[in-house]
Amino acid sequence: MRLRNAAVTAAALAASALVLAGCGSNGGVGGSDDVEQNTGEKATINYWTWFPPQATLDAAIAAFEEENPNITVELRTFEAADYQKQLPLALSGGESIDVVGVQVSAMTNSVKDYLHPADEWTGDWLADINPTMVEQTTSIADDEVLYSVPMGSIGSPLMYYNAAMLEELGIEVPATAAEWKVAVDEIKAQKPDVTPVVFTGEPYWQEEMLFGIAEQNSPGLSDDIIGGDGAWDQPALIEGLNTYKSIFDDGIVGTDVLSLQGTRPSELFSAGQAAFYIDGSWQNSLLSAAYRSENGIELEDVGVTGLPVIDGGSPAVRALAEGGLAIPAASKNVEAATAFIKFMVEAGGADVWAKDLVLVPSLDGYTLPDGVLESDAAQQGFQTASTLIGAPTSKRDSQQDFLNQVEGNAILDVLRGTKTAEEAAATMQEEWTSGRYPHGSDQ
Amino acid sequence: MTTTETSTLVTRAGERRQRRSPARGVRGRSPFRGGWYVVLFLGPLLLFYGVYFLYSFGILGMVSTERVGLTFRNAVDVGMQNFVLVLEDPTFQRSLINTIVFGLFSVLVALTLGFILAMMLASGVRMRRLFYTVFLLPSLIPMSLFATVFSRMLETRDGAINDGLRNLGLGFLAQDWLGDPTAAYVAIGILLTYTIGLPIMYYTTDVAQVNASIVESATLDGASVWQIYRIMLFPLLRTTHITVILSVILGSFRAFDIIYFSTGGQPGGRTDITGTYIYKATLGLDRVGYAAAASIIVLIIALIISVVQIIVRRKAS
Repeated sequence: MRLRNAAVTAAALAASALVLAGCGSNGGVGGSDDVEQNTGEKATINYWTWFPPQATLDAAIAAFEEENPNITVELRTFEAADYQKQLPLALSGGESIDVVGVQVSAMTNSVKDYLHPADEWTGDWLADINPTMVEQTTSIADDEVLYSVPMGSIGSPLMYYNAAMLEELGIEVPATAAEWKVAVDEIKAQKPDVTPVVFTGEPYWQEEMLFGIAEQNSPGLSDDIIGGDGAWDQPALIEGLNTYKSIFDDGIVGTDVLSLQGTRPSELFSAGQAAFYIDGSWQNSLLSAAYRSENGIELEDVGVTGLPVIDGGSPAVRALAEGGLAIPAASKNVEAATAFIKFMVEAGGADVWAKDLVLVPSLDGYTLPDGVLESDAAQQGFQTASTLIGAPTSKRDSQQDFLNQVEGNAILDVLRGTKTAEEAAATMQEEWTSGRYPHGSDQ
Repeated sequence: MTTTETSTLVTRAGERRQRRSPARGVRGRSPFRGGWYVVLFLGPLLLFYGVYFLYSFGILGMVSTERVGLTFRNAVDVGMQNFVLVLEDPTFQRSLINTIVFGLFSVLVALTLGFILAMMLASGVRMRRLFYTVFLLPSLIPMSLFATVFSRMLETRDGAINDGLRNLGLGFLAQDWLGDPTAAYVAIGILLTYTIGLPIMYYTTDVAQVNASIVESATLDGASVWQIYRIMLFPLLRTTHITVILSVILGSFRAFDIIYFSTGGQPGGRTDITGTYIYKATLGLDRVGYAAAASIIVLIIALIISVVQIIVRRKAS
């Protein structure tokens, strides 16, 4: 009898749970095609984004509102990681938003069902946007439809260097592993307290380094594996793993660097305690003397270049369109939203936000306003970075779960000598095809 | 000595039985014996907790059989596939073993070092309050902050631990704390040892309830301090041990912040626990169902540990 009562109670509880869960999992309705549009003279548009910084956005919005006095922009900004989770939930909940920033790689597929396809609101002005960046933004969507217009592009890996320190020591900016080794030995000899080369040892970053080196001889390798049907245990990747390890074996980079986490490499470089700092183009602000001054970075001069060529080939950078601007299907202000997006990607807006140097602007032929970059190292460096990013060897596309659980750790095992390149590549391939990390046509 | 000990403990056990007998009588009666106002007070709370837990578990259960993302749209029913994939994943298996090993290590530290420190503090040592504060502080501040600072200390080249060792002339002990698996386990062991404050608090609270005359009798009979701790106090505090064991082991399932902000699972994911595994599992597209399946498996294991503990506790009582 007691058992029966318990069973009935359990069944009732389970049923309640399912009913409650069912109520909650609807997810709301978004993307209605029949949204009545605002036909009034004035419009207020709600703009959600995570990028660029608030001060830059405020300046860009002020410039837009001056040009368009009938449109008011209400801005809401988020921290990047929060935004990836909050925007999909807000859109599915029917939140009133007119313009959204979309992290092209990380968010396009999670929000595209709630967005207007871009061909419904863009016009001839789309032809002024870098076609590679438009194509990247289009192809990242599962259905290969353009949902957002990219403000620019980011790429990695790039190598920032303390130009003043190199000049003081009489060191040339290295272009090959041999030159890099000479530079590192010189720094070790003359400035023993300085770490010659720093980058983060976190698993996610190892993919950037691996493909940045492997694609010097095998351009398109990342696209072949992550974006295509290529195998992780193919010879080109194994060779890339061994080449990456060689910069540790040759003493260019110490394995102690792999213990650096988070913002620590940036802090070391900004404090003058590291000579070379490898990261992505989102650190381009370091090139600006004004930025360094405003942020208390006491480096006299900073330059940037591609990763030195390790074992032949050419410098390689993976890049992807970023800072996509899109219009939710539920927006009642599509016309005003379109005007705002057009302003942001064209020279009027770019002149405001491009000064931060975080993105290489998507507007074809765009050049930075005079005075943004002062030194030769900064100007030439920015030009080099822009050229590399403008012609990337692969899309900067990652499968985050695989990268954090498997790939990053396998690469680190090779660097620390725990596994051979062949073993690590086999592990990656085995896990990639295990069914645990749906990719490509599996999704 | 032996006779006195035995008789004292028998007498104490008898006292305990007498104290507990009324409670056992209550257990056999109607739960509503206290009157309608008991239901009035407890009802809303039970409803609140019931809805919260049922809703959460209901969502987890439903999602765990789907391939679905954060928007919960376009879900694909995959049956039990997520559970099979999680259980077959060597990374999950390793993180589960780590969770249990770290939990057992914490239990060992709590039952030995924690017990000894608590007894020393209870014995009236000078500056007792200062020591309490020192031991409790790591348990009172956010572990994420504590672990982040610790992570900085673990840096191979400029970390405070290696720097300190070098300054003391012990440079040969400096380690690649995040690169060598053994060193990483030692680092986590040190970090877990810092969380000994709560077990110390449990022990010091319960040891105050021990009848002082027992200790006095033993002292008069010539028992050494070590004998009093080992033969008398340690067995007398067995219910406290069980509380400590349960709280520490279940706490190890919630040690996400300790691992994530200290080693980040390094080297090569070898110090990951179930919490960090589930977090990383949610990072991919349409992986919410997979992470939900992993969560349910961990939940079931934690429930099994709780049930075993309850059974052991009842038998011990």
